[in-house]
Amino acid sequence: MSLPILDGGKDWPQVLLARATEGKLPDIEAAEAKGAWEAFRKATGELSPEVVLHTIAESGLRGRGGAGYPTGAKWRDCVTQPDPVHYVVANGFEADPGAQVDRTLMELDPQAVVEGTAIAAWVVGAEQAIIAVSSSAPVAAERLRVAVEEAEARGYVGGDADWRSLRIEVREVTGSFVVGEETVLLRALEGQRAQPDQRPPHPSRSGLWGKPTVVNNVKTLAAVPWIVAHGAGAYTSLGSAETPGTTLVQLGGVVRKPGVVEVPLGTTVRQILDGPGGSVQGSLKAVLVGGPTGGFLPPDGLDTPLTYEDLGQAGAVAGSGTLLALDESACLVEVATLMTRYLNDNACGKTIPCRIGTRRLAELGAGFCSGHVRPRDAELLSELAADVHDAALCGLEKDAANPLLSVMRYFAPEFEAHSVRGECPAGVCQPLSLAGAASS
Amino acid sequence: MTDTLPEIIHQPSSPSPDEATERLLTTQSPQRRQVSPEFAVEIDGRQYTAREGQTILDVCRDVGIEVPTLCYEPKLPGFGACRMCVVEVEGEDTPPISCSRDAEEGMVVRTQTPRLREIRKTNLELIFSDHNAYCLPPCQNKCPSHIDIPGFLKANTEGDFVESTRVFKRTIPFPSVLGRVCPAPCEDHCRRDEVEEAIAIRDSHRYAGDQVLKAQAEGVAPPLPFDQQPSTGKRVAVIGSGPSGMSAAYYLALSGHEVTVMERDPDPGGMLRYGIPEYRLPKERILAAEYQGVWDLGVQLVTGVELGTDFSIDDLQNEGYDAVLVAIGCYDTNKLGIPGEDADGVIDGLEYLRIATLGLPYPDHKGKRVVVIGGGFTSMDCSRTSVRQGCTEVTLVYRRDMKDMPAADEVHEMLEEGARAIFQASPTRVVVDKHDKVTGVEFQRMALGEPDASGRRRPQPVEGTEFIIDCDRVLLAIGQGPQLGWLENGAEGIEKTKRWRLDADAVTFGTGRAGVFGAGDVRTGAATVVEAIAEGRRASYAIDAYLQGQDLEEIRTRQTLAEPQPEFLSIVPYTDEVKHPRIRLRAMPAEERNDSYIEYEIPYTAQEAMAESARCLQCTCEAIGYCDLRRQGIEYGTTLQTLEPKRTGISFRSVSENRFTGYNHDYIRDDSHAFILREPSRCIDCGRCANVCREVVGAACYDFMRTGFDTLVTTPLDMSLNTTPCVSCGRCAETCPTGALMPKPRVLEQYDVDESRCILCGICVDACPYDALRCGPDFELAHESRAEPQIDLLAIADIERDSELSYVRKERDWLSQAQAGGRDFPQERLLPVLPAGLAGNGKTSTGNGAGDTPAGGAGGGAASIHHK
Repeated sequence: MSLPILDGGKDWPQVLLARATEGKLPDIEAAEAKGAWEAFRKATGELSPEVVLHTIAESGLRGRGGAGYPTGAKWRDCVTQPDPVHYVVANGFEADPGAQVDRTLMELDPQAVVEGTAIAAWVVGAEQAIIAVSSSAPVAAERLRVAVEEAEARGYVGGDADWRSLRIEVREVTGSFVVGEETVLLRALEGQRAQPDQRPPHPSRSGLWGKPTVVNNVKTLAAVPWIVAHGAGAYTSLGSAETPGTTLVQLGGVVRKPGVVEVPLGTTVRQILDGPGGSVQGSLKAVLVGGPTGGFLPPDGLDTPLTYEDLGQAGAVAGSGTLLALDESACLVEVATLMTRYLNDNACGKTIPCRIGTRRLAELGAGFCSGHVRPRDAELLSELAADVHDAALCGLEKDAANPLLSVMRYFAPEFEAHSVRGECPAGVCQPLSLAGAASS
Repeated sequence: MTDTLPEIIHQPSSPSPDEATERLLTTQSPQRRQVSPEFAVEIDGRQYTAREGQTILDVCRDVGIEVPTLCYEPKLPGFGACRMCVVEVEGEDTPPISCSRDAEEGMVVRTQTPRLREIRKTNLELIFSDHNAYCLPPCQNKCPSHIDIPGFLKANTEGDFVESTRVFKRTIPFPSVLGRVCPAPCEDHCRRDEVEEAIAIRDSHRYAGDQVLKAQAEGVAPPLPFDQQPSTGKRVAVIGSGPSGMSAAYYLALSGHEVTVMERDPDPGGMLRYGIPEYRLPKERILAAEYQGVWDLGVQLVTGVELGTDFSIDDLQNEGYDAVLVAIGCYDTNKLGIPGEDADGVIDGLEYLRIATLGLPYPDHKGKRVVVIGGGFTSMDCSRTSVRQGCTEVTLVYRRDMKDMPAADEVHEMLEEGARAIFQASPTRVVVDKHDKVTGVEFQRMALGEPDASGRRRPQPVEGTEFIIDCDRVLLAIGQGPQLGWLENGAEGIEKTKRWRLDADAVTFGTGRAGVFGAGDVRTGAATVVEAIAEGRRASYAIDAYLQGQDLEEIRTRQTLAEPQPEFLSIVPYTDEVKHPRIRLRAMPAEERNDSYIEYEIPYTAQEAMAESARCLQCTCEAIGYCDLRRQGIEYGTTLQTLEPKRTGISFRSVSENRFTGYNHDYIRDDSHAFILREPSRCIDCGRCANVCREVVGAACYDFMRTGFDTLVTTPLDMSLNTTPCVSCGRCAETCPTGALMPKPRVLEQYDVDESRCILCGICVDACPYDALRCGPDFELAHESRAEPQIDLLAIADIERDSELSYVRKERDWLSQAQAGGRDFPQERLLPVLPAGLAGNGKTSTGNGAGDTPAGGAGGGAASIHHK
């Protein structure tokens, strides 16, 4: 069951969801009528890989998986590796359990993902590309498979000659949250133990089977055909000057209209909530930006623009692209603790700071919820969070403390209410009251 | 090599065996570039040369810079699980891990910064917060003499009290004596206390020692901890036959030296004999009997000679003693420094005890009212002996609180026997009548102020709180100092300290004069018996080293620079449901023991002793000494604070020390496999065993199981190792940085070998780590019982195993030797050595002289052999 597509209004351009039609099975004819595979034909027919690579770099496209690494630079790094065998992996695993952003894109416009993957493979000279989808998204996987078959039937990929020998494979991957991390995904695709590897070397130098591999989020790849067709300049005119382009955002929680919407980067969180979200029901307490590894923004932080840098400074991450609006009935200490605990339970258990450290973070959070707080616990939480962050191997570990840290940063009174007064403002937890115990 | 290669290829006839082997070697040699480009990197402020392809860790190891690792296995690429090898690289925000990061030209690396140490420390603390296991048992750590406590308790459990005593005597020669007079600092730190109550460690060795003494009375010699070494011809004089001197004499005699003990008193024992009352330590039955073990080693005793009056240090050295140990203890009772101290009726506590312990009643003591001043064991002995000698009123006065009293444990027994105690009061004057005879003591109340250097709160007088206790006698027991008058005469070069102690080194025990050593109370000031014995034993080692001509200064430097003796690591507590309370010694009723000098405690029965010892949790880890985790725990200070205030009775609990204590795992030990012992509670999930087993061995017995906090590197579904493709190679145990995987200590009773079925395959000979079986002329088999095999992990790891390459080389050498010797051997012998296609194109027929005949290569190819 897909979430509804929300209308961003005519000021918000459509790149990723331009061809998406809800309630209709995607097929290649309809898609081609709206311009699918034009960019691929243009690139392979008229342009050289170097020109396309230049266009992507010029467009300022950055990884939509959350880290925001410039896509052009990543591809170039892969191209310049001496190893002749390259791979492209489209990451559609979408680990965040509440997010359906990538799934919506893959289900409604699989051709865009396949075409973007094909262009990326052609640019970096890969003869094999894999689109990895979570096994909990079977519809998306099936539609992608059909899209690949259709593209093969049209002779875009899978032929015998030259670059047409590209094989695109749709693979369903099972696993926990951490499989969304790129090196873990690569190990999972190899059939190895699903654990991250140290970067550098980045996958663009040593990825799948040790070969140079471009790993891009499906949202990133789906934007590629549009950029090739319309030119880099058209893309840089979208979004903010520093971070051009659009991305997909999922609205949830206490907004009036939950759903998926395509927004230009640089739009503020408030604009998204009030515009397509149809404003918030009741009084807004906080917005969780970026899923389990994200951070909470307070109501007066809603003017934070949706860019990698601004979100990072505000203690959140672009992450899975979800905005979860919470009202006064939510206890942020509890929610943040549950997020941390979820991350620990889904960790691969490879590194010490992650396996034990995030668990201890969750235990410290749970201590606040239940009122079992030692005098130095708040300090200890920050220290441990910093140490876990610095010793981290993968992104899950690095961002695991974000929810708790952002609550401590913006909602310190809520922490104090639990630990000092023995009260949960939202009435969710039943913390032990030290003051009450002392007076009675 | 390149010159000969074409010749071999174009040679139509079969190559010589040497050439064939050469080719095999060439083919199989790793095609590694011999010369990699070199460049400069800066590590910790110094310039080093690195080669392309080296990781930062490789470079550091090459140049000898220590970077801690736990999960790094040298045979495999960096894994990156433990995050211990983090380093800082200039220009990077987050520190990379050095095992997985290639060195780059111009890189500026720092391996030790406060931030890195912080990260590593946090990692270690996190590990320890989920590390349900022990290293050294805290009891052993806390014992001044570091007795192997789990060791002798284990023997006790098995009812082997002789072995138990032998283990004990490795560090203390007198188990029965110590079993009565030791304050048992070990028991304060027993981990069993976290279950219900500490083990009765002292009572347990008391029982074992008593059994040996019983047997000794029937003519069975007591066990020796080590074999006595053959005589060295060196002579050592030990002055003082107290606990310190006698333990030194014991271990010196075991080392083969000729020892003479000089004693001032008519009988040996020092404070043990003249300071501790009979009811606590029976003199003949226990003390003399246990000392007999020392005389049995050939130690000579001279009594009635006093240092300073009858002889001097000069005299001893002139007489030809190669070394002299001064262990004369502390016999000068400290003065109170208050008016009336010299009045009639003020008695030196030691003098009093000396007479009392001889079994004589102190003159005119019966029926008197006595005040005892002090809080140590001497004050306690004075009080309790006074009760036994019929004093009508015995009052002990101590200036601090009861919990700060060195002899706090004994107070309740003293009170039971009818004495009374007053705390936080200090004498201000002795009240005398006109004949200068004591009629009372005036005291002043003390308030407790800030803690002093010993960690106890300093008592401060409170004005206007004076009170007088009427009494006839005052016994002073406020501590003792050594008698050092002998330094004036014939002891040139030997000094005393400012605190009026003999000036001897704490490690080498050497004084300012070569060959003269000092140990025990005379060096440290009055302390416990067990501390004195520890001093004596360590001094004996120093003297032994001196007599062997070793450089004591060098030893001292080494000792000082060596790692500090660790406190036990901050690890999670033992949590067991089953509770077995401590079995306590019963005591005679107070009314009976009040007027008796016989020992008042009733010893264990054998069943009780065994049951009590069985409560021991056996905290010692088998991997102690090999454990990287422990070493790094020590280095990064994740151990307990060492500055524990002495004798406070407050024992730090390990749990509060770790910042991250929380839920932890308690896994079950798997000892189902014949050779590998698995203790998952000690596992730190570094993954080394899994990686080595899969990448190097190829068996893949282990992997990461489950996710998140519950992840554990274990066998599939945690099943027995027997259900995996384990080949018992032991590589997992070898690579394990902790004691999670260990070569299993095995107690072999006896092998039954059916030699009629032996095919002389030799596998047992290859496999036996002890050379118990070896190929002799007749293939001998040893049938030996090994009660306690000492498996030396490092030695096993160092055994050079055959690689394919070295095997081929060996085979080639063997071949050429055999040929040179003109030996005839079956052709088939070579078959498995050289694989098909590599051994040339010929196969000689099974005869001789056919070596050069090119054959059709039937049979898959074998090496061609020339017979001469």
